[in-house]
Amino acid sequence: MSSGFRVFLAALVALGGSWCGFVLAPVSQLGGGKQTVVLNSTELYPVDRPGLANQGLQVYRANGCAACHTEQVQQNGVACDVALTDAGKNPTATTNLISSLKLNNLDKEAADALLDKIAAAGGKAEIHIVATGPDIARGWGRRHSVAEDFLYDDPVQLGSLRIGPDLADVGTRQPDANWQLVHLYAPQSVVKDSAMPPFRYLFRVGKTGSAPSPEALVFPKGYGPPAGYEVVPKPQAQALAAYLMSLHAEVPLHDAPFSQLVAVPKP
Amino acid sequence: MNDPLKSNTPPTPEAAPTVSRSTVPIWIIVLTLMLLFLGMVYFDHHGGWFDSQVYGPYASAEELELYQPKSGAAAILARGKAHYDQVCGLCHGADGLGKPGQAPPLAGSEWVEGIQRFASIPLAGVSGQLPVKGQTWSLSMPAMGAAMSDEDLADVLTYIHASWGNQQGPVTADEVKAIRAKLGAHPQPFSGETLKALPK
Repeated sequence: MSSGFRVFLAALVALGGSWCGFVLAPVSQLGGGKQTVVLNSTELYPVDRPGLANQGLQVYRANGCAACHTEQVQQNGVACDVALTDAGKNPTATTNLISSLKLNNLDKEAADALLDKIAAAGGKAEIHIVATGPDIARGWGRRHSVAEDFLYDDPVQLGSLRIGPDLADVGTRQPDANWQLVHLYAPQSVVKDSAMPPFRYLFRVGKTGSAPSPEALVFPKGYGPPAGYEVVPKPQAQALAAYLMSLHAEVPLHDAPFSQLVAVPKP
Repeated sequence: MNDPLKSNTPPTPEAAPTVSRSTVPIWIIVLTLMLLFLGMVYFDHHGGWFDSQVYGPYASAEELELYQPKSGAAAILARGKAHYDQVCGLCHGADGLGKPGQAPPLAGSEWVEGIQRFASIPLAGVSGQLPVKGQTWSLSMPAMGAAMSDEDLADVLTYIHASWGNQQGPVTADEVKAIRAKLGAHPQPFSGETLKALPK
């Protein structure tokens, strides 16, 4: 065997091996991504965005939003909370038992043991699965991001630097189109210490005239154009706001489970 | 020092480099195998075996399964409602009140009581006359539950048992499995009389 052929073989093995690891393995693992079902329901996830929001993804890309924002939530752990649902025939005994025990931040085994203990006392309880981690604590999501979240993103805007907050779930945090638009026009008017530059070229400032535009932004006090003028979003701004409001990576899935609790209406 | 770079005399034949074969020391082979073994152990504990469902804090599909929010009546009822709305709700209505001339109500129906008879209805279907809440219905219900898994059907039956004012106990997948086995494959739909003959 000549040494030239040997070098060729070695290069082939090295490149082929890394190609298998970096391309083939991920594609065979996640390449056939499909819609999945939201936990404990028959709803499909994700659904494709409406057209305007899909255009907004291109505006997001064109303005380099991914340079300062990520769309990936990290989860460092998972915990179980035990919640009493029925105190049983002897409520005082059950509540006394409950008050003496640690109910939150348990692992699955401890939670199951606790459930048995409560059942022995005649009460009923259920286990709530909670995702934990700094991102979850900041309110940026309720679970880690999974491949399904990005099924309809082209290109995927993962981002790697967090000068601004993570946006994977921003549509749930800020579902108001006017808030999104005002934030794009004058970030500091709604987020006081924001480091975000204003994107004023996505808006048109004009005289209000006799017929004010129904799309004109409503600013908080002290911001906005002088009297007689109005700020109207251009189509790109509308699309970008629609895209931001379509970001809802927050439903429980089989690969990212958590207990979705029915919100108790406040009196 | 006799530095060959500085000396003008050619290197002696003894100092010239030579090529010879030598065996790899055994300790390198042992160390490599040990590192490989430890790597495999680590992968086994943390890798999730390339399962596309296993992410982040979960180490394996089994651990992920452990943390699915299954326990608790709320989850069972939510699953049951989802399947009910999809399979049963078209005729019996999301409110369980049925549709005149098509499907009898499930809310407060005497046929919903118990497990044996109730679970047999979706597994085999009903055809012919059947009195429900004092009114006679002419039915041709297919075996809507035959294609559902034991777990899904149990969730649906539990949901019906606990909804719209019905106050019956939960139905487990094992009970459904037993009843399904008893009916056998492709059972004939019940008539009013044969259904009445079944124990509750």
